[in-house]
Amino acid sequence: MQDNASNDTPMHSMVELTLYVAGQTPKSVAAIRNLERICADRLDGAYQVKVVDLKENPRLAREHNIVAIPTLVRKLPAPIQKIIGDLSDTEKVLVHLRMGVAG
Amino acid sequence: MIDERYRDLSVEDLRQRLFEAEETLRAIRDGEADAVVMRGGSDDRVHALGGEDESYRVIMEAMDIGAVALDARNAVVYANSAMCDLLDCSFEQMQQTGLTSCFAPEVAELVQTIIDQHDGQRHTGQFAQAMPMGTRHIIVAVGPLPLAFGTGLVLTFTDVTARLAAERASESARIARAVISSANEAVVVCDVHGKVVNANATAIELTGGDPLHRAFEEAYPLSFSVSSPIIHAEDLVTMAVEGNSIQGLEAKSARGGTCKDLLVSAAPLRLAAHQIGGCVITLVDNTDRKAIENHQSLLLRELDHRVKNTLAMVMSIASRTSASAADLPDFRSRFNSRLQALAATHILLAESEWSGLMLSSVVNRELAPYTTSAGPKLVVEGLDRKVSSDIGIAFALVVHELTTNAVKYGALSQESGVITIAGEDAGNGMVKVRWIESGGPAVEPPTRSGFGQTLISRSLSRGNGGGATVDFAPSGLVCEMRLPLR
Repeated sequence: MQDNASNDTPMHSMVELTLYVAGQTPKSVAAIRNLERICADRLDGAYQVKVVDLKENPRLAREHNIVAIPTLVRKLPAPIQKIIGDLSDTEKVLVHLRMGVAG
Repeated sequence: MIDERYRDLSVEDLRQRLFEAEETLRAIRDGEADAVVMRGGSDDRVHALGGEDESYRVIMEAMDIGAVALDARNAVVYANSAMCDLLDCSFEQMQQTGLTSCFAPEVAELVQTIIDQHDGQRHTGQFAQAMPMGTRHIIVAVGPLPLAFGTGLVLTFTDVTARLAAERASESARIARAVISSANEAVVVCDVHGKVVNANATAIELTGGDPLHRAFEEAYPLSFSVSSPIIHAEDLVTMAVEGNSIQGLEAKSARGGTCKDLLVSAAPLRLAAHQIGGCVITLVDNTDRKAIENHQSLLLRELDHRVKNTLAMVMSIASRTSASAADLPDFRSRFNSRLQALAATHILLAESEWSGLMLSSVVNRELAPYTTSAGPKLVVEGLDRKVSSDIGIAFALVVHELTTNAVKYGALSQESGVITIAGEDAGNGMVKVRWIESGGPAVEPPTRSGFGQTLISRSLSRGNGGGATVDFAPSGLVCEMRLPLR
């Protein structure tokens, strides 16, 4: 997953995302693929994404109190937002990402 | 009472936590998550939810071959029922002791080698394992198994014992068909109902049509001798199907005006587990051998007859020669001479296998020693005729007596002598042979009738129109014989 940053973003601020996955479960794989697509198509480069494999280190789930996998956490802009699932519903993902963000 | 972990959170935080918890439950319930983090005291774990793991188990369980799933550390994570049945070992036991412990040491080594050599590709091996139900032949195959957390292995164990047995049976059947088709004898295979299910080329030729699917007795109408234990062809099939073997029965098969002598054998067709699936009948064409046997039997009877006749003839010759001999040396000379003539005739008969004698052969053989280019002369006409052995012997003895007489008193006693022997058809299957001497000394009739004359006049008289007359004409002896032709 690439990290990218740009000042020219319709969200007016850097989006910092963490995707929690568990090895190669089908929904983990699908979530990574769908997030890549959403970032490339809809976020216009103003984002930073980190993927955390909880299968490798389950304790990392504690930082964001993750229970269900896959879960995407929007760390920035605040407040923290969580989306559970394989991110196949792009519009729903975008709604969550913009939720609570000043336009 | 408030949990210590939530004591410092604001109401808003608590509401957020509650919302997240409800959202998590909803997501899990709706299948949006396929793994969960289980928080322990000091050890958090990730567990896959129902889905892929369950899917492969369902698939494995549905398989009718043994299948075992191993994780990345080769620990047994699942074994289907077919596998447990195949190894007579429970899943829990496999989990506790490991997969390879369920096999004999050499098989365990093979399985372990296959596992160790696995490189992401499918590998197979074959082994035989002693089981309570007998030795089983098993093909083991290994392939990758994508698990929720990493890649494991799936090993399948296919029991090919029945397939190998079927292949061996098929190969045996193929060899049997090859043997049957290449056999010189007619080989017919019938089912338990006596229907012909296989017949080689010789058997098809014997029946002159397609015998398949016909009743054996209909395709091969055989007649057995009265003394045979089998009366009808269907009895042959019945006895064989009941497990009895029958060998070398003589039978006759008449088809299209030709009759064949056959040697018939039948045996049950034993399948696996000693089950009788029909019978195999072989039919050997014995016609030529039977003809030879008949001929030999005929010759034996002929020989017996000849020996008796010859002994009677020798006794008669001895008796008559002694009656007419002047003294013992005269007897010995005449007797030996007559026996030699008899022996010479026997040689001729043996050469023709007792099938009869050519009159010309008898004459030439008897007279050859006495005729030279300087004379006396022999003229033979119309004697290329064959007579039976009996008549041939009588004719030979007559010719011998005439020759002996001619040598002593007739045409053969002078170089100017001529003997003409002419044969002509006398009708009614008879031939007339005239022995005419000329150029010899003047003939005087004998004062008494010796054995020679008696033999000449009697030998050919057999109540069949045959006979001989001797005329002691002064110019030369004339003997007229009438012989029945064959």
